[in-house]
Amino acid sequence: MQENIRDDRQKVYEVGYLIAGVPEEQVAAEADKVRTLITEAGATVIAEEAPHHEQLAYAISKKTVSGSYDKYEVASFGWIKFEVGSDKIEALKKAIEVVPSVLRLLLITTTSENTYLGKRAPVMAAAFVKQSSSNQGTVAEDSAAKKEVAPAAPATIEEMDKSIDNMVKEA
Amino acid sequence: MKKQCYFSQHNIKHIDYKDTEILRKFLNPHGRLISRKRSGISAKYQRQLAMAVKRARFMGLLPYVAK
Repeated sequence: MQENIRDDRQKVYEVGYLIAGVPEEQVAAEADKVRTLITEAGATVIAEEAPHHEQLAYAISKKTVSGSYDKYEVASFGWIKFEVGSDKIEALKKAIEVVPSVLRLLLITTTSENTYLGKRAPVMAAAFVKQSSSNQGTVAEDSAAKKEVAPAAPATIEEMDKSIDNMVKEA
Repeated sequence: MKKQCYFSQHNIKHIDYKDTEILRKFLNPHGRLISRKRSGISAKYQRQLAMAVKRARFMGLLPYVAK
């Protein structure tokens, strides 16, 4: 009885996928295939992002029909957040995995609220570089940021130096 | 001076693997995760961060090893 209740429970999932090995014009159509599979399973789409061209951090290989491996350095990354019954998710995952153009698939459970910062992320990351440099915290990528190590209570001259540094960086 | 948790400060409740710009700030030049001791992140968010970095690596958005 309790098992049945658990199976019917609606959960929020997110599918992230990489599409590769198809021409640029067909990427949207391939993404639509993935979306159709999800909606056909009775899922409600909450949020999504169309695939965009992405330089991969490492080469991903995929076995072809002939048995050889194709390596991909670039792919199109897209994601869909949706709500569906937990009993349907396994079948859905397998259905998406067998789409030939899908290079890689990541299925995660998430929340219905927005977790993706998107365009806000670079701004917040830049703010972190400033903060970490003043706290002598993490290893920041910017070598310029490493230079501006300030004490806990910065003096006026140092503050001015910092603002000048920031202006130079922005320019 | 005690370091503040970056995620608590910016009111980020969930760390998303797609926000690679933010995740990169917590990786060293070799692509390894920076320790809590250095970054000042709370234990709760360090766990979330580790998971997000691993997911981003799997999807090829972040490297497993760099340099």
